[in-house]
Amino acid sequence: MRMIRAVLSVAFRQNMMAMKPAGRGAPLMLFHIETGGCGGCGMELRALASAPYDLGGAGFGLANTPAGADMLLVSGPLTRMMAPVLQAAWEAMPDPKGIICMGDCALDGGVFGENYATLGGLERRVTIDLRLPGCPPTPTDVLAGLASLLRGDVQDDLPPA
Amino acid sequence: MDALSLIRGGEPTATPWRFRLDELAWRDLVEALRADPLPFCGLWCDGTDVHALFLVRDEPLAVTLALEDGRYPALSPARAASTLYERAIYDLYGAEAMWARDVRPLFDHEVWPCSSPLAARPGVSEARSGLAVFQPSERFATAAGAVDGWGPASGGVSPPLYVAFTQSRGLVGQAESQSGYAHRGMALRWRGSRVEDGCRLSGRVVAGQSVAHQSAFCMAVEQACGQTVGEQAGLARVALMEMERVLHHLYTLADMAGRAQAPLVAAHCMMLRETMLEQISPVTGSRLLMDCCRPGGVRLPEAERLGAVCESLAGIGQAAHPALLELWESFPGLVARLKGLGVTRAEDLARVGLEGLVARAAGQDCDTRRALALYEGLWRYTAGRQYGSAADRALLLLDEVAESLSQLARLAPRIGDAMPDREALSLPDAEGMAMVEGPWGRVAYWVRLQEGRLAQVFCHTPAAAALLLFEESVKDQPVEDLPLVACSLGVNAAALDG
Repeated sequence: MRMIRAVLSVAFRQNMMAMKPAGRGAPLMLFHIETGGCGGCGMELRALASAPYDLGGAGFGLANTPAGADMLLVSGPLTRMMAPVLQAAWEAMPDPKGIICMGDCALDGGVFGENYATLGGLERRVTIDLRLPGCPPTPTDVLAGLASLLRGDVQDDLPPA
Repeated sequence: MDALSLIRGGEPTATPWRFRLDELAWRDLVEALRADPLPFCGLWCDGTDVHALFLVRDEPLAVTLALEDGRYPALSPARAASTLYERAIYDLYGAEAMWARDVRPLFDHEVWPCSSPLAARPGVSEARSGLAVFQPSERFATAAGAVDGWGPASGGVSPPLYVAFTQSRGLVGQAESQSGYAHRGMALRWRGSRVEDGCRLSGRVVAGQSVAHQSAFCMAVEQACGQTVGEQAGLARVALMEMERVLHHLYTLADMAGRAQAPLVAAHCMMLRETMLEQISPVTGSRLLMDCCRPGGVRLPEAERLGAVCESLAGIGQAAHPALLELWESFPGLVARLKGLGVTRAEDLARVGLEGLVARAAGQDCDTRRALALYEGLWRYTAGRQYGSAADRALLLLDEVAESLSQLARLAPRIGDAMPDREALSLPDAEGMAMVEGPWGRVAYWVRLQEGRLAQVFCHTPAAAALLLFEESVKDQPVEDLPLVACSLGVNAAALDG
């Protein structure tokens, strides 16, 4: 009985929070790559991918490999050691593809500006298709930003980085 | 002579708990430490000296040695955990640890534009392009079995770390990690910064443990100033640390449950966490409790509601906890999957010097909260099951959630709606050190103030010891459980790399 109640409570809360996709059949797959930050954006992404949020119901999925992804979701300042890892992930993604920057660090380095170990953020280095500022941005902010991708608020023709 | 006597026999410094040794006395100390169980907390360098930090009944005791021709005798022959510190010191300052157990690079994998970036005169280096090459130890290179790897980009949400491992018939043989992917140069960023900016940085060493880091940092600064915060600010910090522990533990439990194919349990942990965050975030202004502490006090947008939130959280949590515990214990296959997984052996814990939750789940009696005056009247905790497996750690996480909720309930009437006071700090040229019990164990900060700014900061977390323990505990475990073992031991590249 306890197990049934547990299942029902999760299902009920998820439906309350769901944001359904705007007409896209398959989910938009995101490959997350943490490029060297404190891990806060990753924690919020995990929260978004869990109950009571509904990332899947909103039309997004998290890919296990870059080859299975539509968009690269980057968080954290870009450390010099992660730069070639990021490049390799990008090159492994099929076209068309795009880049989402989650958090201040991924955008402009945040509190981790350029030094011997980090290159700062991706702004002014690559074309960013979706900016999600914040330290870290909340799951609600991230979901609203991602939903704008499906509404076509951002450009359709995603240029390479 | 024992290690303690050797240290206290050194030349006193302006800091009453730090003594200076010459090289011969330092070598004697290393020899004495081979047989002496004096708890080792960390090793750091400032370009001129190396400093080793030990603990005597939870009180700091530091020892200093001047570098001679950029070298010093290693502590790693006597303290395994010193290995990672020695490798870090070489990468950052170029100071060489003589007779060190491991001299492989830790952070500098030849992708930086300079070598020894924190040295007085950094070296010129031609940064290599391309992926960092894994450099195995001799033991790993000669191990049998096919070599495989995990990370640094696996699509997960954790900070980047690479783990190479040999495997045979689906089981891990040897495992060895390569770090540095999340190295942001914290020591250089702290150097010369204002204490407020340094505090902001300390809150971003590792997410989910921000209050512990910022509290320890602020307390170290306040100790250097010879000042303490008022009672209300102290209570507010304790409340924030216990809220953080509850949130962190629920997140970790969800992570473990998710990796152990128990998504329903994971969902319940995250839902309870979100319910609590609805109460917490308006008061703290941050879901991850970042920037809630500042030197001299706390920084809360709605500080007057803190007591009410403590009471509310205790009510929500205590109502939900029994059902969560029952679900954890009754979910098909979950406990069975974790039982016997990633078992930590007493000799390994002693060798790497790991304290905190992982050690408590293996029967060790260690918790910094017991020694902190801030927790007077709140401390009641006693350890639960102690066999050292992932299952025991999970149950201890659940147990500690309940204990922290009880502490919040006891704190609520003491905090009430009083506004926490704030001390104005005068910043002398001095050193300070403080520690708190973070979600995974002891978090300690040593700061040196000079001309009103931070001259140097050293941060100790359980991350270094946790990584060493992980490499031991994952042996003979199923390959697919490698991330689950890492998660259950608190392995975190952000905390390690700094």
